[in-house]
Amino acid sequence: MGIVAAFHELDATVDAIEDLKSQKITDFTVYTPTPRHEIEDAVNPPPSPVRRFTLIGGFCGACFGYWIAIWTSDYWPLVVGGKAVASWIPYTIIGFELMVLVGSLSTVAGMFINSRIPKITLTVGFDPRFTSGHFGIWIPSAADSARVIEDTLRKHGAEEVRRED
Amino acid sequence: MATVARPRTAAELSPRPNVASANQQLPGVIDYEQVDRDIGGILTPTAGWFGALAIAIALFLWGAGTWTYQIYWGLGNAGYNPPVMWGVYIISFVFWIGIGHAGTLISAILYLFRAGFRTTIYRCAEAMTVFAVMTAGLFPIIHIGRPWKFFWLIAYPNWRLIWPNFKSPLIWDVFAISTYLTVSATFLYVGLVPDIAVLRDRATNPLKKRILAVMSLGWRNSEKEWRHFARMYLFLAAFSTPLVLSVHSVVSFDFAMAINPGWHTTIFPPYFVAGAIFSGLGMVFTIIIPIRKFFRLQHYVTINHLDAAAKLCLTTSMIVGCAYLVEFWIAWYSGNQFEQMYFWNRVFGQWWWAAWIMITCNMIFPLSLFSQKLRRNPAWLFILSIFINLGMWFERFVIIVPTLSHEFEPWQWSSYVPSWVDISILIGSFGWFFMWFLLFIKQLPVIAIAEVKEIVLPRLRAPHPHEDAIDVTGQHQTYEPDTPGEFA
Repeated sequence: MGIVAAFHELDATVDAIEDLKSQKITDFTVYTPTPRHEIEDAVNPPPSPVRRFTLIGGFCGACFGYWIAIWTSDYWPLVVGGKAVASWIPYTIIGFELMVLVGSLSTVAGMFINSRIPKITLTVGFDPRFTSGHFGIWIPSAADSARVIEDTLRKHGAEEVRRED
Repeated sequence: MATVARPRTAAELSPRPNVASANQQLPGVIDYEQVDRDIGGILTPTAGWFGALAIAIALFLWGAGTWTYQIYWGLGNAGYNPPVMWGVYIISFVFWIGIGHAGTLISAILYLFRAGFRTTIYRCAEAMTVFAVMTAGLFPIIHIGRPWKFFWLIAYPNWRLIWPNFKSPLIWDVFAISTYLTVSATFLYVGLVPDIAVLRDRATNPLKKRILAVMSLGWRNSEKEWRHFARMYLFLAAFSTPLVLSVHSVVSFDFAMAINPGWHTTIFPPYFVAGAIFSGLGMVFTIIIPIRKFFRLQHYVTINHLDAAAKLCLTTSMIVGCAYLVEFWIAWYSGNQFEQMYFWNRVFGQWWWAAWIMITCNMIFPLSLFSQKLRRNPAWLFILSIFINLGMWFERFVIIVPTLSHEFEPWQWSSYVPSWVDISILIGSFGWFFMWFLLFIKQLPVIAIAEVKEIVLPRLRAPHPHEDAIDVTGQHQTYEPDTPGEFA
């Protein structure tokens, strides 16, 4: 069970978030039609771990690119034009391209994993208005604390506050 | 001696429409809901759109039919004669790859540089990139005599564990272009996900709603999703930036690795990259100006945005022009008589007409963009973009054909005339490109809804501290909205 509130104004949403945090309520989800610094500052989340996926993916891609080119050259070691069998300078192109490819795809995978998408099921506490012009806050709460939370949200100008199971 | 400032005239004191750089704000857009209505509203097909799509499909079918003819009767119908065995197909391959580059420039490089004017045009440019690279990828396959063997280029071992030669520029091409296509398509799709969620929640048709629900991956606009999304977008842009530089550098290696006069030069990678971005900007104008007019999006793609893009176009034109001149200097300074002969032949010999089309369209006409009045004239920008497209196709013609037809040995010197097969397939490629593009603009938002909302003033309970600071041109002067993409 929880409470969902829809706001039409950015500053009202920010005030409500800050008030909830001052009441030690930190388990909530904020919806915003577009990313806003004001909401980010109010929520104050930890840094996104997506960058680690990027680093690891890029490193693995570069290593694989160099490795596949060098290994295949050594498998059939034909000297062409007096050049080294495994020539690292042209193989840098393969290493670079695979670094970008694997790094990019792992970055997207990192976003998917951390955002928990793709999501097939309907989400409780989401309202289609949140993809248009409304900001939203979803607070999972017990029945005994619901009244206090609802009052807080209304006090800051929530356009609609409703309970959802 | 003290100097006394000259009193300003009334003309100097009046606000000018174009201040230093493009103003990214959109005074004609009031709130977030309007963005959804305006951009979502253009997705309804119109008679004009069906007509344009029918023409594009007809051109594509003409090209596809001609290719079938070529496969049946052989590559000899393509107008190739030794020593000119690279012609329209490789020219068009380089041309279309180049077209794609401006998309990545606008979506990734300008994103990293926080250039606000990209916001309303980048989606178009990104889609253009994907479809242009899809088009370019067809040409090497069309060019090979047995197209059903194209998969031999892919790096996989055959039954004797013989791999492709990783020292070959053609294999570098395969890696560069397939990476570019994959990353560009990924970049386009993940950028679309929040906008597809907007369409999903506004859709009334149950089938369409279900399809959009699957495509939006369950996106809900939560703060957590945006945080990871912004970080991902930043890193994709950071990867795409060197990628776009590498792809056309690798394409230029197809030529520069050979020892032929006119090709074997170290200027090729930067020259190709600058040319690619220039040609892509030309195609962006060709596409965005009609879209802006026919979909009535003048309050989104403003004159200021076109002005800023025109400045970028002028800059790249001058880089390309400089590269043309430096090539002559390199030929003279090298003391290599084959190189010198080649460049003389390029502008005063057999291929003078092609070279002068290139120089006129790419160096001379774009200089008109020094005029603010012309930079802010969409009709002129559209006409100029057609000249740029033409000029850049001929640039690739001038790079490829004169070299092959005028190599070291005089007895080898020859000529080249494209056949109707070449021309038909070239026309068909435009049909293929515009067919995909036209399908795209009626299915998915052609302007990024979420990013546009970033530069629209949010609704506030209290009056905005700067909301009365609107000058006579309708621009918010003192309020500085967040730069798109700075979140997280």
